[in-house]
Amino acid sequence: MEFDLKTIEALAPDQASLSAASKLTKRSNWPRLEKNEQQALIWGECQGSGSNPYRVVVDTGDHGYKCTCPSRKFPCKHTLALMWIAATAPASFAPIEATPEWVNDWLGRRRKTTSQPAGPAPGAAAKSIDDALQPDEAAVVEDAAAVERREVAQRKRAQETRSAVSAALDELDQWIADQLRLGLSGFVDASSERCRRIAARLVDLKATALAGRIDEIPSRLMALRSEERPDAAIRELGKLVLLAKAWRSEPDDPELKRLVSTSETREQILANPDARQVESHWEVLGEKIETRRDGLVSHSTWLLDLNSVTPKFALLLDYFPASAGRRSNAFAPGDRFNARLVFYPSRAPLRALVAERIGDVTSGAAWPDFGALKDPLAARASQQDGAPWLTDNPLILPPGAISLDDRGTAWWQAADDPHGIALPIAGAVDQTLLGIDLGAAAALWNGARLDLLAAQSRFGRLDLS
Amino acid sequence: MNELEQTGLAAMRDCWITGGPTFDLAPAAWKEIAGTAGPDERERRLLAIAAQALDIGLRPAAPKVLKRRPALPALALPMLPERLRPLLRAALKQAADARRKVRVVTLVASRGFVLHPMDWMPAVSDQNSPDVYAPWIDWQAGVEGQAHAPRENLTAENWDDFYPAARRIALADMRRIEPAAARMLIETKGSSEPAEVRLALIELMRFGLALEDAPFLKGLSTDRSGKVRELAGRLLARLGEHGQHGDGGADDPIAELAAFIAEGKSGFIRRRTTYTPAKLKSPAQEQRRAQLFETCNLVDLAARFGATEPEFIGAWQFGADNNADILIARMVAASGSDAAVTHMADTLVADGGKPALFVLHLMPRLDSHRKRVLVRLILKDWKYPGALNLAEGIEASWLEWDDLTNGQVLPALRSVIGATDDAMRRGLDDILETMGFLTTTAAAARLIDEVVAAGMPPAAPSLALLRLNAALAEHPSATDT
Repeated sequence: MEFDLKTIEALAPDQASLSAASKLTKRSNWPRLEKNEQQALIWGECQGSGSNPYRVVVDTGDHGYKCTCPSRKFPCKHTLALMWIAATAPASFAPIEATPEWVNDWLGRRRKTTSQPAGPAPGAAAKSIDDALQPDEAAVVEDAAAVERREVAQRKRAQETRSAVSAALDELDQWIADQLRLGLSGFVDASSERCRRIAARLVDLKATALAGRIDEIPSRLMALRSEERPDAAIRELGKLVLLAKAWRSEPDDPELKRLVSTSETREQILANPDARQVESHWEVLGEKIETRRDGLVSHSTWLLDLNSVTPKFALLLDYFPASAGRRSNAFAPGDRFNARLVFYPSRAPLRALVAERIGDVTSGAAWPDFGALKDPLAARASQQDGAPWLTDNPLILPPGAISLDDRGTAWWQAADDPHGIALPIAGAVDQTLLGIDLGAAAALWNGARLDLLAAQSRFGRLDLS
Repeated sequence: MNELEQTGLAAMRDCWITGGPTFDLAPAAWKEIAGTAGPDERERRLLAIAAQALDIGLRPAAPKVLKRRPALPALALPMLPERLRPLLRAALKQAADARRKVRVVTLVASRGFVLHPMDWMPAVSDQNSPDVYAPWIDWQAGVEGQAHAPRENLTAENWDDFYPAARRIALADMRRIEPAAARMLIETKGSSEPAEVRLALIELMRFGLALEDAPFLKGLSTDRSGKVRELAGRLLARLGEHGQHGDGGADDPIAELAAFIAEGKSGFIRRRTTYTPAKLKSPAQEQRRAQLFETCNLVDLAARFGATEPEFIGAWQFGADNNADILIARMVAASGSDAAVTHMADTLVADGGKPALFVLHLMPRLDSHRKRVLVRLILKDWKYPGALNLAEGIEASWLEWDDLTNGQVLPALRSVIGATDDAMRRGLDDILETMGFLTTTAAAARLIDEVVAAGMPPAAPSLALLRLNAALAEHPSATDT
């Protein structure tokens, strides 16, 4: 490894980045630190403020780097921190022979401009590692009166938000009644424009999360055949009615607040004693990175609890602005790790944060035997009983196979019940999949389409996300 | 949901689609929940109930007909170990086209593994991937029915039970071991097959081609398909049979082709006959000459000059006209006898230089030893290393470290590594990819070390196939299988 602190100082875009990086050099922030000396590469995963870890790789030969965080500083604090660890504690990096696929992906895409390490950037003299190591003096001790003033202001803001959201839901109610009066046929045709208009009103009235959900309705409708869209519109609008009613009856309920206005911060969830914690072995089923209409990119990572006797899932969910550029995946599908997850409080806990990564799990590739799963949609029905506003539910499907109908749409069908339930699959499927019997499959069901994440087969694990 | 509720829901749904109140259409139980609220609120309540009824109460209706594909067959080799799949995917990603991807697949097969079907699948038309993939090619082609185990011998009785790719491979094997039995099968079953299949079957006669095949091939001169007749004529020509008996007049293609070739003499003491391509006057002549070289057979052309095939090849003046040299090389590959092919290959390789590259056109007909000699020659000279990319049918994983140190390979690679020119870099990438295919595990590992020491970034994507090669043990351990 060829790092010294002077080089890091020179590469840092500003003093603030160095200071932020110094806080990330703790080993506990990095569940994975690995290197391949033959290829002159170091890489790691840093548990940052998002739910998904950031993946950082650095070429120690020419100081090229890549981080999956959405920062616009180059290099970002995670990259600097990784270099810092390499300079000060090189033994922290475990030597690995085969580079992971995400590192290979970066290598395949990158275009080397120079084979020489980058020299000091202009303004390098204005930054200092020593300063970065000084304790933050900006943190001043507040007096009791100031704390009280702040709390009063917070309560006032919360009250104002509640009033605004209540007004937003009144407008939403009226808007839904208007759509029913004018006809869902017209709504389906003009859903893009109509949803955008009400979503903008909801944003003004602080129902931001609900606005984001309504903004996505048109694309969810358009993903279906035209004859299916009216039913889908009934489902989407009906669930909005239920959510609005639930919020009105319990406006302080954390799950409902999260779905209607804003989510808790990572720190709030980690500090919440009521938040459910599960330490287990988790498998990454798959990831979805989707650009939303409101300019945000949602990054979802679906996990399966490998120690549970019934199918249990977790979702790591992050949002970041689309303008931050393309985001790489945070995990490789099929990765397994031992971790303590903290779930966001809700009726059917699903969204979670990684509180602590305890290590990787290398043994086995099969999923637990979840026993007979006669009705693949039973899990959704029971989750909908408690939280009928949910749109997507993860499922484990029993052994089955993929078939095509006469219009070329792919359907999943249970192996032992060829005349029973069949579920249509979203999008096109790889033709090879049509010849592979699926032992068990993990998927998301949204009431109309199945979104496959992963499956077991005699060819091993299949990544379908 | 009961029947009344389903009927009510259907009526409400229709009403909402066009617009308007649905309260009167709702099932009684639902009306009760909607209660005595205002008209808008009643509609919203009914909408919420309907949404849940559609979501939970109704299941998607499965189509009456769902078509399932037959199960993807298991192959005769074990799957590449999971730990090597990232390296494999990197190598496949780096391989720019289908031909190069097949090279990756061939290298892996040479080490006793097949790929995961989600990483790579052969195309239906694929004829170059290793034989072990035949069941997948047939599966891709979507042929219905049950395949026989590959171990079962192909016979006239079980002919229809074999998928086309499996049948092709079984017949090719048979032609190598029992050529007469394979010929009889082709003769018996081929006539009832369509022209396209017939052509592919006759093409298999090239394996173990011998004089005993001549009567059958002659019988094909009356075949319905022009392509079959042409192929049979070429195969006969390889056996030394004259296919075209022209009258020597202006319409005789052999005479016309001969007119493009000048016969001369050289040498002072021992006069030798030479054949030199005549100077052409127009592109039209060039085009016509190319057509004639393609359709005429070497044996007939040589006979026209009163020479045997090896004599004619020996007297051909390579280097006088590049296009004509390529045409004669293709002609030898298509219709030359085995003696003519080996004579041409041995003579040109012994002489070295640029003419040796024409031997690349003969690759499909050369034995493994001659192929290797040619590859070693190209590497040693290093004047035209890019030519290796054109070579077809070279085996994977045999080039030793000594072959690389014996010549200009390493100094030339070292000099190109620092180049900034894009074309030179691309050339380097191509060579490293080819080396990744040709080298043994040990040579691949040493070559990586060598180019990295010379300044190549250790993580360069162009080293992907070399890295896969180096990681693939030549003798898989028990844990890998």
